[in-house]
Amino acid sequence: MILPIGPLHPALKEPIRLKLKTRGEKVLDAEIDYGYVHRGIERIMRGKTWQKGIFLSERVCGICSYIHTQTFAETFEKIAGEEVPPRAQYLRVLTNELDRIQSHLIANSTYFKALEHETLFMNMLALREPVMDAIELLTGNRVNMGWNVVGGVKMDAKQSHLDSIMELLKGVESNYDRYVEMFEHGPLLGLRSKDVGKMSREDAIKGRAVGPIGRASGLKHDWREDHPTYRDNIDFNVVWRKEGDNFARTMNRFDEVKESIKIIKQVIENLPDGDIRKKIDIPSGYADWRNEAPRGEVTYMIETNGNLIQNVSIRTPSIMNIDACEKYMLKDVATVADAVATYTSCDPCIACTERVVILDEFGRKEDIHGIHNIKYDSLKQDSDVS
Amino acid sequence: MVRSFKDIVRSSSIHVCIVNTGGCNGCDIEVVALLSPRYDLEQYGIYVHPNPREADVLLVTGAVAEQWRDKLQRIYAKVPEPKVVVAVGNCPLSGDVFNQEGCSVYAPVSDFIPVDAEIPGCPPRPSEIVEAILSVAPGAIAARGRQKQ
Repeated sequence: MILPIGPLHPALKEPIRLKLKTRGEKVLDAEIDYGYVHRGIERIMRGKTWQKGIFLSERVCGICSYIHTQTFAETFEKIAGEEVPPRAQYLRVLTNELDRIQSHLIANSTYFKALEHETLFMNMLALREPVMDAIELLTGNRVNMGWNVVGGVKMDAKQSHLDSIMELLKGVESNYDRYVEMFEHGPLLGLRSKDVGKMSREDAIKGRAVGPIGRASGLKHDWREDHPTYRDNIDFNVVWRKEGDNFARTMNRFDEVKESIKIIKQVIENLPDGDIRKKIDIPSGYADWRNEAPRGEVTYMIETNGNLIQNVSIRTPSIMNIDACEKYMLKDVATVADAVATYTSCDPCIACTERVVILDEFGRKEDIHGIHNIKYDSLKQDSDVS
Repeated sequence: MVRSFKDIVRSSSIHVCIVNTGGCNGCDIEVVALLSPRYDLEQYGIYVHPNPREADVLLVTGAVAEQWRDKLQRIYAKVPEPKVVVAVGNCPLSGDVFNQEGCSVYAPVSDFIPVDAEIPGCPPRPSEIVEAILSVAPGAIAARGRQKQ
């Protein structure tokens, strides 16, 4: 029997259609339909200046909106071949980690909501609010911050703000271990999450899982290790696990929050003085840049003629994770409730996912800048018309 | 007697159904933040549950994407009378940054269903959302209930 769930359903946060192939209560197979949130951002972004494009890139996703602007700005900085001032680099790391904390906490809270564990759901949301306060203190907004520009950041942080952020994070830390213990040693939560929705390392590689979902299956892969600011100045560990079940994914996110708090403390202690922004003249050219979003690796490929964006392609982590979830996690799940919990544990963000990528299955070689992208061909034909 | 009793109960117990018709998700997580102990939506008698068949208030977020053009009207028809529609954020009002040349959104949402309250902002603060629901929902539900009698 095919059991359709969605696009509007109590179990789902965002519109998507899950088709579960069931026999009795057992879920044999799953299929996912996308397309409910497609807005055509990449198409709108073509032919705009970066000053307009950065606002569009921020609205690719509301939960991890910060990392999109940072990646967008850093792609342009790579085209220009320049680096932003050190204070701006540190402030970017600070906001990125605050954003990661709030994203991981809301992801875990929705997982506990899927397990119908109301206590931890509320506690996670209560923990998240001080972090949102810290973000608001630093940038002036809660969700879409509008804080990054090409060449640095818009506003400077006062010492009093940084002190308040430290105070808020101490408040988060003091309660944090208690909640993690509630999950880690809770017998009922353990029964619902251990050995449910398992994905082995080989399957994670085949399904192209990234971020905490890949790291929970044993893929030790974190783009922060390759980011220049993190690599040179900041001491942190990549959190990873081997089990690959719902428990491992949730614990992986819990542990990464601790790691992020450690990074924020280092940043605030070592924050250099100086400018926060510098003027960058952008030549024509192409560049791609990768960053570690809360959900994994996000890639921006941008081609510009110095003034306008000619072509842009955004690759977000959620599409890979949802695909891996559909193919490898939702096989032979014991119950429908477990299937919904498994889907929630891979932290789906549908607003990110809705990108159109056309792949050539016949292997025709039309490589552009080393990346095979047929959208570019249609763009070339379009640009003749417009 | 039963009808009026239902009116009294309903004016202080509001079921909210949230529909994301293609936004950036920012308004949705601000609604989730409303559930947190700091804002505590349930102290006002508001219960968020994405099921249109038992909803009093339809919270619409997002500029209307291609797939939602017919589905939105079907969801609106499923909500029992009396019903209130609250548009959250700039997207349902104007399409925000997405409503430009080459887009695939069909904002505003008032082209498809009647809208009772509008909350501008990208995204609006949680306190603004709860204020809008409370200012429009109990009165509108009570008034429309009486009209039906």
